[in-house]
Amino acid sequence: MTGIIARTLVLCLCLGLGLAAPRGGAAGAAGTTTAAPQGGAAGAGGTTTAAPQGGIFPFAVKVETLENGLKVVSLPLSNPNIISYYTIVRSGSRNEIEPGKSGFAHFFEHMMSKGTKQVPRAAYGDFLARLGAGTNSATTDDFTCYSVVFAGRDSLENVVRTEADRFINLAPSEDMLRTEAAVIESEYYAGASDPARRLIETLRDTAFERHPYKHTTLGSLKDIQELPNQYEYSLLYKKRFFAPDNTILLVAGDFDPAQLAAFVRKYYGAWKISNYDLQTPVEPPQEKARRARIAGPAGAPARIAVGFHGPAFSDTAADKAALDLLAELSFASASPLYQKLVNKDRTCRSLTADFPDTRDPSLFVISAVVNNEGDLPTVEAEILKELERVKAEPAPAARLADVKSRRKYALARALETTDGAAATLAFYLNLTGDPGTVNRIFNLRDRVSPRDIQDAARKYFKPSNSATVTLTGEAAKGETP
Amino acid sequence: MKVRALARALLAAAVLSVSCGRAAPLKLGRDLLPLEGSPLVCFRILVRVGSAHDPSGKEGLARLTWSLLAEGGSRSMSVRDIAEKLYPLAADLSLSVDKELSAFSGTVHRDNLERYYAVVKDMLLDPGFREDDFARVKADQLAFLEKTLVGDMDEQLGKEILNLMLYDGHPYGHHEAGTLESVAGLTLDDAKAFYREYFVQGNIVLGLAGGYPREFPDRIAADFARLPQTFTPRLVLPPARAARGLEFAIADKPTPATAISLGFPIALTRADKDFFALWIAQAHFGEHRQSLSLLTQKIREERGRNTGDYAYIEHFVQGRDKFPAPNHGRQQQYFSIWIRPLANADRHFVLRQALRELKKLVEDGLSEERFQLARSYLLRSTKLTAQTLDERLGWQMDAHYYGTDDILAAAEAVLPKLTRADVNKAIRKYLNFANAFVAVVTQDAEAFKSDLAADSPSPIKYANPNMPREVLDEDTAIQAYPLAVTADKVRTAPAAEFFRKAGLPWEQGRTDR
Repeated sequence: MTGIIARTLVLCLCLGLGLAAPRGGAAGAAGTTTAAPQGGAAGAGGTTTAAPQGGIFPFAVKVETLENGLKVVSLPLSNPNIISYYTIVRSGSRNEIEPGKSGFAHFFEHMMSKGTKQVPRAAYGDFLARLGAGTNSATTDDFTCYSVVFAGRDSLENVVRTEADRFINLAPSEDMLRTEAAVIESEYYAGASDPARRLIETLRDTAFERHPYKHTTLGSLKDIQELPNQYEYSLLYKKRFFAPDNTILLVAGDFDPAQLAAFVRKYYGAWKISNYDLQTPVEPPQEKARRARIAGPAGAPARIAVGFHGPAFSDTAADKAALDLLAELSFASASPLYQKLVNKDRTCRSLTADFPDTRDPSLFVISAVVNNEGDLPTVEAEILKELERVKAEPAPAARLADVKSRRKYALARALETTDGAAATLAFYLNLTGDPGTVNRIFNLRDRVSPRDIQDAARKYFKPSNSATVTLTGEAAKGETP
Repeated sequence: MKVRALARALLAAAVLSVSCGRAAPLKLGRDLLPLEGSPLVCFRILVRVGSAHDPSGKEGLARLTWSLLAEGGSRSMSVRDIAEKLYPLAADLSLSVDKELSAFSGTVHRDNLERYYAVVKDMLLDPGFREDDFARVKADQLAFLEKTLVGDMDEQLGKEILNLMLYDGHPYGHHEAGTLESVAGLTLDDAKAFYREYFVQGNIVLGLAGGYPREFPDRIAADFARLPQTFTPRLVLPPARAARGLEFAIADKPTPATAISLGFPIALTRADKDFFALWIAQAHFGEHRQSLSLLTQKIREERGRNTGDYAYIEHFVQGRDKFPAPNHGRQQQYFSIWIRPLANADRHFVLRQALRELKKLVEDGLSEERFQLARSYLLRSTKLTAQTLDERLGWQMDAHYYGTDDILAAAEAVLPKLTRADVNKAIRKYLNFANAFVAVVTQDAEAFKSDLAADSPSPIKYANPNMPREVLDEDTAIQAYPLAVTADKVRTAPAAEFFRKAGLPWEQGRTDR
């Protein structure tokens, strides 16, 4: 118990310092962060220290880029003995550019636990068990992330050696690949009863023509069923993307950064650069509104999703940040529309707006679960009316301040643990490769004005830029979509 | 070392500040974990009342009443006012309702403590009990039962049906959300009466952690002093019924994937000395969402049948990451196996495989190698378990609920002393493979019933033409593994029938329940 108390105590003290920023308003002092090197600095071989003083992300971060382009980000924290070890491979659905390869990034994420010649699958499992590690991996539109969280700084070298071996020397057999392909198929079936998944699958497919964001990370069932025959492609995929110039290593917690740097140079130094130049198809501008209608299982509540093509993530241009705040102002639980549709009229069971931070332009999606199917047109009209209102009326300053406040306090909560800090930083590293992005995006959001929000709304919320999908119960199946 | 000394001092302070609810049951209990430097303050307001306290015919009332506090307005604030006040703080009041315990929890930055507490105090001590809030919360609870649970969440549905089977006719024997029939009949007056009877000082333990002002707990206690000075004695529960052979409930719905949960009651909780031995067995056999799980190794890694397979020695609700959520303590526990969704064609084979592995576990126990591995895993993974203040507070409160030491700290002391023989003895004492309840959510339930009753062979197909010889040999044994099921022990019903009325679908309406 004492150990646990000490761990959290020290981390909380750190947090206390960090949170002085939003309280004192210093977070608004944009640009005080010493920028770490931008992504793509392969071969630079230099070391830069980013010290985000005065930012909402209060921790000092050290960045080193190896000769082979592997970027290593150290985030020393005083939370005793706990270390989060993240390998961020900047390859997700957006890398699935060839026909028939949807879902491959996710599939390859599964393959990454299949072992190497030195550390076969079972030995890798035993290694993690002895370490008492919590492990996770996840695939998104833009990246896959592998984390090993463990207690014991004395195990750091073992972890660096084993993880380096795993990423450099992964050598699954074709037999292993065929077996794991069946796991993916079961994963697809497991979510088959989830109407939210079907809604978003259809929305993406409707809204996008060329860009790989057209499909979800899970991919299509047709492509999943072809996975057992993709051994050759898996070798190509690994060569292209599982390379130091497409990977960022993030280590957070209780360790000596100099020691980490030495271990990383020793074990990752021989990893061969890929130099693969990904050409992601550009989505052509949409010219007229699109619509689709799907039937859900009998008795399923009706759903609607309205998507608008929006901008990619940026920590410098205001558009994306403005729309993020708009999503909260107009559709979060404290918004008048949410209160009306969900709490007062009880037309909807839920109402949300989601605009993910992605490397390429993505969709701003407003979705609702509607209690009575007959209310779908009303809900759609209310959503569109709200967007028109936003264009016409500037957001009240007090409400905008509330949204900014919430985002800061929510981040502060996320930073409570070593792994929370690591996961937060890993996400922004995936987007830009630059740890300075965390503070830059929060500073940018702080500067967003009501006028910025109106401008962004006018630019993106046009009918011609929209895609709308409704899901209704089986009774409506016979209707023409 | 200074940090450790400080931590020890804090621990001592925390222990001293606990006033045991049982010693003074008529007043608010306290469970404090002060941490002076922390910028956060965590609340866990534990009510020693859950769905097992629902009156007969009013199943779902505890959850509905507490939801009305957490999601409704107070007398002075509408639900909209509350949303607007809490929103900028990024803090809310979450609710968990289990069989015997319910918890309101929230974490707030110290800067916002007064603003947060002013709202929460009103929500809990001066609820609005408005008709419109009641109608909304009730509609949500009905929609959860009718649409979400039965429609969208097959894995959860399997687990909940298992709970119905485990505790048929027992105070644990209905879902926390009740049934469609019982919830439809609940009134606002029911909720008010339930609040008056159960939201009383002796039932409540105030959990507080973090950087709150020294006098803050006294202030809260003074506020809560307006509640009646009464308490509800701990429930005296009948024993849960043991399964006689394998007893099946199959929920039928159109689905490409089958979800299976199986289990049986066990006479063990965290308060028992054997808990740690059985904990090692759990880590070996089915550690939640970890590849250490033997079931996952066999079903997923070797055969690719699904994404994972796990086993639990107590009721498990996932909290942060993969760790158990606090404040779900129960006087009675159960052992369970969770088989994640798999293709319908594989259901018979994988069920056989899981039960055959369970038989091997009971008969052969752990090897020395696996014992060492599972123990090493636990010794280190427990250091990751309670990292947030809220989790630490929750684990501390759970320890007090069970009347034990901090289980994570105790693990460090107890686990190294255990031997493989201790673990295998505990397995034989508490686990079995012949008598279990099996809940299945699948398509063509009658066809599965026929397969089970006939005990017909259940070969599976692989996309990989070169499966290892030892796997294929084992498959030969698995596909013919006798389950000894008789048709009368396999009951089927449409999925939608399970939460309409109290009890299992084939027993609904029985007057002797």
